[in-house]
Amino acid sequence: MPKVPFLAQHPELGNAPIPVEPYLSEDYYAKEIDKIFRRDWLFVGREEDIPDAGDFKVKRLDFAHTSVILVRGKDKKIRAFHNVCRHRGNKVITETGGEETFGNKRAAVLACRFHGWVYDAEGKLINVPMEDKFPTCFDRAKNGLVPIHVDTWAGFVCINLAKKPTKTLREFLGGVVDHFEGYPFDQMTHVHTYYAHINCNWKTGIDAFCEAYHVPTIHAGSFPGLADYWLDDFATYGDHRSLAIYTVDMNPPTPVASKANELFAASIALKRDEPFPLPKAINPNRHEKWGFEQTVVFPNFLVHVGQGLWFTHQFWPVAQNKCLWEGRYFLKAPTANSQHWAQRYAVTLQRNAWLEDTATMEDTQEALLSGAVSYLNLQDEEVMLRHAFNAVNNRVAAE
Amino acid sequence: MTINLPEGFEDLAPFAAKWARATEYERVAERRRSTPEQLRAFYDALLNRLPDILKRVDAYPLGKVEGADRHLFHMALSLAEIAPHIEFYKADPNVPFSFDEERLKGHHCGVPD
Repeated sequence: MPKVPFLAQHPELGNAPIPVEPYLSEDYYAKEIDKIFRRDWLFVGREEDIPDAGDFKVKRLDFAHTSVILVRGKDKKIRAFHNVCRHRGNKVITETGGEETFGNKRAAVLACRFHGWVYDAEGKLINVPMEDKFPTCFDRAKNGLVPIHVDTWAGFVCINLAKKPTKTLREFLGGVVDHFEGYPFDQMTHVHTYYAHINCNWKTGIDAFCEAYHVPTIHAGSFPGLADYWLDDFATYGDHRSLAIYTVDMNPPTPVASKANELFAASIALKRDEPFPLPKAINPNRHEKWGFEQTVVFPNFLVHVGQGLWFTHQFWPVAQNKCLWEGRYFLKAPTANSQHWAQRYAVTLQRNAWLEDTATMEDTQEALLSGAVSYLNLQDEEVMLRHAFNAVNNRVAAE
Repeated sequence: MTINLPEGFEDLAPFAAKWARATEYERVAERRRSTPEQLRAFYDALLNRLPDILKRVDAYPLGKVEGADRHLFHMALSLAEIAPHIEFYKADPNVPFSFDEERLKGHHCGVPD
């Protein structure tokens, strides 16, 4: 139990109700895009998404009206570019219709289907059919793919859409780096992915995963055993924040759940071993009831680390009342089909919990649109929501 | 299409056409169009044979279960899909109080089912 309530530990966060305007206003949304999403470092993938030379991933970023090519070069470096051909603006890589498109070009070159212009993995325009028919002022060297700043940390791939980011990735992350120092993300890279378009503000999505007040009610179905919990280890790192959930008990050991857990312990709701030591800052007192963490890397990347598993959520802004939710669950790769089965059981239960979590989001957006209420009441345990409001609001209000 | 099962698993034959589905999307769809009684009957029958099925599929390399055993594996994955509905949701074919499952996309991971 925290000895002092969270808000008493952080009086700078205030304790008044927070306004609803940030969740509804088109103008506020436009400012968030301009002042936050087009300037800050954004998490767009893992190194394991594009492990080999010539591998690429194209990620749609609707808020920026772009799709980003992340490509691994022959020199093993990852580079990022806008997916726009310098000829007449076609998408160099045709997307498959999903939010992410994966592929590999053995020669590590990217060719646009429209007229066969070819770029290498460093973005250089290396081939233009009928180049001699272009005017003499046309210079291939000035028409490479438009680059985007990219960097990596702990296996995560991050981009920055600003022409000149004001901070390096490490400077942006600040205390988050030390917080996770030593957490073995790269030992658990087998990822299960779900996504959905949700008609709510991106911040509503993040709010939902940053408290445990909802566990006894929302998760009465999937996590009945986790209803008795407490929170601790609240920490702020500038705009970033972290909180840990301790659970008194686990889900009841039902037959299929138990069989799955015995083959491969992949569920946060069942007792597991501790395959690795946690970083110092995570479960600092080595309490046996520690469950998992909720950490938010500003603006929109949630990293939930546990023992032997971790999962992430992202809510990408699309409009003031629309977002894209991506949920990913990371485990050590199975080595047998029975383990794959066991993982699929655990991920199915977690997927269902996420369906429970996302259930209230559109109703909330619709109800707030009524204009009937102008503020939201937050309790002490909802300190992460309060920190989120302050962090976003300070950036929107600043120049 | 007949779903053949390996010898010794004839008891599961009545469930094969409905539950030997190759993708999560199909297994979710079957679950949602089931009655509570269908879910219970399938759960009881599969749970009884689960250890045998998992032992058989482990004879294959990861992701490469073949032939009639693959149908069994898909049925085991259907059990994984419906187990929470029997073990937690009181045989409700839907996840109670949830986001519209039709709109959920994914799932993918590196291992084929």
